[in-house]
Amino acid sequence: MDGLIAFWAESGIANFTGGQLLMMAVGGLLLYLAIAKGFEPLLLLPIGFGAILANIPNGGFTEEGGMLYYAYHVGIETGVFPLLIFMGVGALTDFGALIANPKMLLLGAAAQFGIFATLIGAIALNAVPGFEFSMTDAAAIAIIGGADGPTAIFLASKLAPELLGAIAVAAYSYMALVPIIQPPIMKLLTTEAERQIKMEQLREVSKLEKIIFPLAVLGLTILFLPAATPLVGMFCLGNLMRESGVVDRLSNTAQNELINIVTIFLGLAVGSKLSADKFLQLETLGILVLGAVAFGIGTAAGVLMAKLMSKLSGGKINPLIGAAGVSAVPMAARVVNKVGLQANQQNFLLMHAMGPNVAGVLGSAVAAGVLLAVLGG
Amino acid sequence: MESMAQQIMEALTIMVLGMGLVFIFLTILIGVVNLVAWRCAPKPSLAPLAEASEPQAPRFPGVDPKMVAVITAAVHQYRAKA
Repeated sequence: MDGLIAFWAESGIANFTGGQLLMMAVGGLLLYLAIAKGFEPLLLLPIGFGAILANIPNGGFTEEGGMLYYAYHVGIETGVFPLLIFMGVGALTDFGALIANPKMLLLGAAAQFGIFATLIGAIALNAVPGFEFSMTDAAAIAIIGGADGPTAIFLASKLAPELLGAIAVAAYSYMALVPIIQPPIMKLLTTEAERQIKMEQLREVSKLEKIIFPLAVLGLTILFLPAATPLVGMFCLGNLMRESGVVDRLSNTAQNELINIVTIFLGLAVGSKLSADKFLQLETLGILVLGAVAFGIGTAAGVLMAKLMSKLSGGKINPLIGAAGVSAVPMAARVVNKVGLQANQQNFLLMHAMGPNVAGVLGSAVAAGVLLAVLGG
Repeated sequence: MESMAQQIMEALTIMVLGMGLVFIFLTILIGVVNLVAWRCAPKPSLAPLAEASEPQAPRFPGVDPKMVAVITAAVHQYRAKA
């Protein structure tokens, strides 16, 4: 009888708290979004499952010695996982469209306005009772506007580790929601005629240019913004492995096996931060709202900048491509292509949108570097 | 409340500084890319060659070019929907 009581006392049913059940429901919701809706399944599935594991009473996954504890400790606290992902993204990225039309970098810069505008928003939210975001918290939240998951996780792990779970979930959720969030903003800010603008075909890019590009980016980062070198450096390494053509094995590993392995552990480790006591707070709600605002402002700033460039170039640039300045690759570029096709059946903007899209990745890495440099990581 | 105003001022400073730096950084990069393109871009003599070779002969022998255009458009439309 004693054994039975001891067994009962150790069972999940006897130990559940309301918060844990709620967080398991959140994990279940993420699993549902990933499996049934196809929202960023590669990340939301492990994150959702991690959230469930982290909230098992007496499971011990997230306590010292538990697997999720170490996954977080080794991979995220140190910033290693997001950086490895960034290397993989670098190996996956073709900068050809950007090298052919480097002016697109300006769009990638403009779309980062969402980040810095949200910085003010997060501080202003402190006026509402119950919110107390420090400047570093605000910066970590604002980076959601860059729509770049690894960058957001990297910055949050440096500046505001206690908010990491909410920030990562917000960042990846909004990346998945790009096709829903962006089109209304894009249509609101452009006219039908502007959306129909066709763009000239891009010139060809030589292999040498593609090899020099990551080295040039790295060189500039070393000179002007060393704080961004972890992100930019790994990114450029991945890209150089791809473009040099001499280490195909490494390049393939970085963009397939390695990024996949890291994604599993990154997802689980982020999910482990979704424990009831950390996540079920008013602040989480604030972060989700601010993230959406940041994303919207970034999109709008990109489109407005593209509009300006379109005017200055005499109507050679379709303003829609500005929306791709947020760095959700390649989702944002696909959305641009889709909205462009709605306006004109023959207008394929995908390649033109890839330029600002990869510029956005660089832009948000630079923005993260600036925030790290100013606020001290 | 004063500290609130102060914090917002600080955030505003970071915003101006940050956007400025991001723009300067990427503008310099534009310059560098253009510089590299000036030296290393593929020779323009190649481009007309590629262009000229394309319209000469149909890429799919035996298939009416009009048909190719129709199928291409249909595939694009289908992909756009998916």
